[in-house]
Amino acid sequence: MKLFDPTSKPVERAVALAPRPASPRGLRLGLVDNTKHNSDTLLRKLAERLAARHRMTVTVTNRKRSPSHEVDEAGIAALRAQADLVISGIGD
Amino acid sequence: MSEIDEAADPAALIEAYYDAGWTDGLPVVPPSDASIAATLAAAGLQGHELLGEIPGRNTEVIAEKAAINTVMAGCRPEYMPVVVAAVRSLCDPAFAYHGPASSTGGSAMVLVVNGPIVKRLGINSGNNAFGQGHRPNATIGRAVRLIMMNAMNTRPGFLDRATLGNPGKYSFCFAEHDDDHPWEPLHVSRGLARHESAVTLIASNSLYQVYNQLAATPPPLLLCFADALANMGSPNLKGFNQTLIVFAGEHSDIVRAAKWSRADVQGFLVEHTRRRLADFKRAARIPGAVAAGDETTWRHIFERPDDILIACAGGRAGSWSACLPGWGNKWTRAVTTRIDDAGSSHGRQA
Repeated sequence: MKLFDPTSKPVERAVALAPRPASPRGLRLGLVDNTKHNSDTLLRKLAERLAARHRMTVTVTNRKRSPSHEVDEAGIAALRAQADLVISGIGD
Repeated sequence: MSEIDEAADPAALIEAYYDAGWTDGLPVVPPSDASIAATLAAAGLQGHELLGEIPGRNTEVIAEKAAINTVMAGCRPEYMPVVVAAVRSLCDPAFAYHGPASSTGGSAMVLVVNGPIVKRLGINSGNNAFGQGHRPNATIGRAVRLIMMNAMNTRPGFLDRATLGNPGKYSFCFAEHDDDHPWEPLHVSRGLARHESAVTLIASNSLYQVYNQLAATPPPLLLCFADALANMGSPNLKGFNQTLIVFAGEHSDIVRAAKWSRADVQGFLVEHTRRRLADFKRAARIPGAVAAGDETTWRHIFERPDDILIACAGGRAGSWSACLPGWGNKWTRAVTTRIDDAGSSHGRQA
């Protein structure tokens, strides 16, 4: 008798990564706030430290519709155009 | 697929599915070429067809994988159209799958089935509607969860981060009374025709049974619902919420006898499901100290009447109903999908 595999692997998609910055100094910083409690506070503190250490400047902040939703296309375009480095990924 | 030598012993085959990590903890029905083909055929599907996708998770649900899981769950082939409609609901952007599927809140995927398919398949809408004892109820909900685990990568500890989970995560499927109802059935209230069959999916991580044996009119009865839906431990108090309410027999009769419409019930609950801002602060559900005015400032739980979905199910006897708060402050929304049991299902709506 046969054993039937019920699983599916995630669909592989090619993703073109932006070039890594050679130096953190003076980068334009993008923030993605997923709306979880205190995520805005944590991101702001991070940005303050990065500004103090590396003279980074927050140039764009994206506040997602909810933690369940992706950053929308307009938000992605803004991050791509206005930031050299983006911080995301706030959990519980 | 692979061959196993122990197949002469059916239990060995079941064990092989355990060993592969493909079960929900209960034994599965080992599929065969014939059972998979029959399951696909019952929904008018080819194995390669795409049932839905979750782009943000690089997930695609292919019909053959859905059929394998449906057989494993113990479904008869004719249940497959219901499973397919439920999968399409999961993949609807309005449902926003990632949150309710992966949250620490551990939601059940609650399926309410309406329409002619209910009687044809024998889906229980009566006594013990949420409980054990009926094959379609037990296995259709189970198939959806197995598909989530196996075909949508939503495994406990990986992309299912439930802190406690709940027993409804094994299976949660019931039918609504279509012919013993104070109003039009749920799917009709959501835009479909009475002669159509449909599945309504809502993610809920709580099931509160609501008891009242003395109420003879709707207001005192509905105050019990309002209180249950606004308790300080409820997960979704800070933003507007969506919920499912299920009236059982005696409570349905109270509403029917008073000639209250669905809109009357929804309007009453929108008005009365609320807490004072001071309650939120004392319970640390909102930060800050109680300030002047907080004792008389009300926060309402529901924004709009149609955020309160109402279904009727359960036995005729007993003073019990239920409320199932939706997950996530409307980040996810209930989705109703038409079942096409002559072929694949279409016509989803949020």
